[in-house]
Amino acid sequence: MDDHLIGILSNIGMISFIALSAYLLLIVGEISFGQQAFFAIGAYAAGIATAMWGWDFWPGLVWGAGIAALAAVLVGIPTLRIRGLYFSIATLAFAEMVRLVFEVFEYRVEIDGEMVGPDGSDGFRDIRYIFENDITAFEYMAMIYLLLAAVLAGFFLLERSRLGSIFRMIGQDHILAEMQGLNVTLYKILALCLAGFVAGIGGALYAHLTTFVEPKIFNVMLGVHSLAYGLIGGLGTAFGPLIGVAIDIGFLESVQFISGYRMIAFGGLVAVLLIVRPRGLLDEAAVNRIRLLLRRHA
Amino acid sequence: MVRTALASLAAASAALWTGGAAAADRAKATVACAPTAERLVYDCRIVLTGRKSGAPLEGAKLVVGADMPSMPLAHNVRPVTATPGGTPGLYEARIELEMHGEWALRLDVSGPLRDRLFHKMHFGGAKGAGTDHQHHMKK
Repeated sequence: MDDHLIGILSNIGMISFIALSAYLLLIVGEISFGQQAFFAIGAYAAGIATAMWGWDFWPGLVWGAGIAALAAVLVGIPTLRIRGLYFSIATLAFAEMVRLVFEVFEYRVEIDGEMVGPDGSDGFRDIRYIFENDITAFEYMAMIYLLLAAVLAGFFLLERSRLGSIFRMIGQDHILAEMQGLNVTLYKILALCLAGFVAGIGGALYAHLTTFVEPKIFNVMLGVHSLAYGLIGGLGTAFGPLIGVAIDIGFLESVQFISGYRMIAFGGLVAVLLIVRPRGLLDEAAVNRIRLLLRRHA
Repeated sequence: MVRTALASLAAASAALWTGGAAAADRAKATVACAPTAERLVYDCRIVLTGRKSGAPLEGAKLVVGADMPSMPLAHNVRPVTATPGGTPGLYEARIELEMHGEWALRLDVSGPLRDRLFHKMHFGGAKGAGTDHQHHMKK
């Protein structure tokens, strides 16, 4: 397979994690503009673990995702008591705060005569685990999709569980959910924790694929895109945000001939899609229709 | 086909657990890009050396791509394979950017060693010449 194609498919896989992360919060009725913060925390934490502390990849990945989940809980406790637009602004402020912290965060150690570690705004270079261990680009892409399949399976189990029903109930009408005796804030913190963990996995994968991360990557643009994936692809199923990612990256790559105008064209496409299908391509109604169709043919 | 894919996946998974031998040397790059007559098109000259040995890296396959860090995944350049420049370790590549601003050149090296390097550069705009990531090259 062509290296460029592997690169594009790997990007689609990695960004799917942050898309699923934003989707989970959309399900509980919250719009977060700050999922890039957990993606960044996962990237830096996992990178530090493998490149500086000499950890293996898998413990490093779990560590990165775990730290991102912990950060999400710590953010969720004060912010999930506020709702709607206020929550969105709070997540955006938190994400910018995290980005600015990484702009000044310096933690470097000498390894084999080279200084390695986050170097403020110059970024964090030499996260070279996959290069040092001869993992090919194709093998790493396969690992990304293996993890994505595992996370997707988790989402499908969640959506068929009582917890998934509670999440959707809260998303539909949180006052009604509270009247049913549910602790809405607690469930939202749980959703934020899971979303942080998923975004953290994506960040850890991203850092090890690119070998280099810098604070600028984790700006509001990434947050807006992660939110848009769910809204484009649809909120009816976890496949929705994945379709959103494929449309975004696939579209941008396929219209490279219009170079700098690609984002303008993409913006127009998103606007049209949101007018025609406000809850995305695979919204709840479309998913129900597909399920009925499948049952009839089963 | 499926069996081969699963085998490579298992091997990669095992390598991600156990680690492996670190590469003997790594690459170091010096990059200079100059504008061409065409707007937003730059000719880049890249000198590759071994980071420890300092010796020019000859016979390497060098693929040059570029991403705009401020717009992750949105603005990137289709990677081009650099051609040997005539002197040991020198490679040349022509890249076509989408807009001026700060770009991170991604250098994928394979052959004598496998490495990925990033080189931040500023193309165009009002920033003056200075460090590597602030070259002023307006066209």
